[in-house]
Amino acid sequence: MKNSIKIQRVIKDLTQEDLANKIGVSRQTINSIENNRYIPSTALALKISAIFDKNVNELFELEKDD
Amino acid sequence: MSIMKMDKNQHDLVLLPRLFNKVALGILILSILFATLAILSIINIDMAVMKTIVATGILVSLLIFALTKDKVEDELLLRIRLKAFAGSFIFGVLYVLIDPFINLLFDHDFSSDLGLTRILITMFLFYFMSFYSMKKKR
Repeated sequence: MKNSIKIQRVIKDLTQEDLANKIGVSRQTINSIENNRYIPSTALALKISAIFDKNVNELFELEKDD
Repeated sequence: MSIMKMDKNQHDLVLLPRLFNKVALGILILSILFATLAILSIINIDMAVMKTIVATGILVSLLIFALTKDKVEDELLLRIRLKAFAGSFIFGVLYVLIDPFINLLFDHDFSSDLGLTRILITMFLFYFMSFYSMKKKR
């Protein structure tokens, strides 16, 4: 699964720390999600999508081998 | 039901407040101090009783350390925590299974003399090593 959180974060001019504080997780968790090392739960994905005013589908995308 | 409430229900693992890290450290230091005083004969106590008290103190402190919240306790950390718990359980079982073979190799005696305290402390140490290693790599 790939995601465009890093791009959206840069557009919104947020640091990983800012985003982490807004959704109540650690900066390392945001880093893991951005680098596709961790797939967030539905609840966390919804919280992230709410920050960027996007649908979850616009942020997260399945890859061929998923 | 709100997302927050569902999220909380599904990810709930009862953990102690961070203050308990200090409590655990205090118990650990007291246990080591007690053992030192007993070994140096400053306190007169039966060695078997001393060993039981010290082992209990160490186990209680390790349990509190393991069950105390991190600075930011989120879903990734919970996942790492549960993986480390599962890993330490499997390690404990393997340790018990392999021990007689190690004894056979070195002492030519196919038996196991592992105490429960030793197994539990080893499992806790494995838990902490895997937890902090996974936490660092996340």
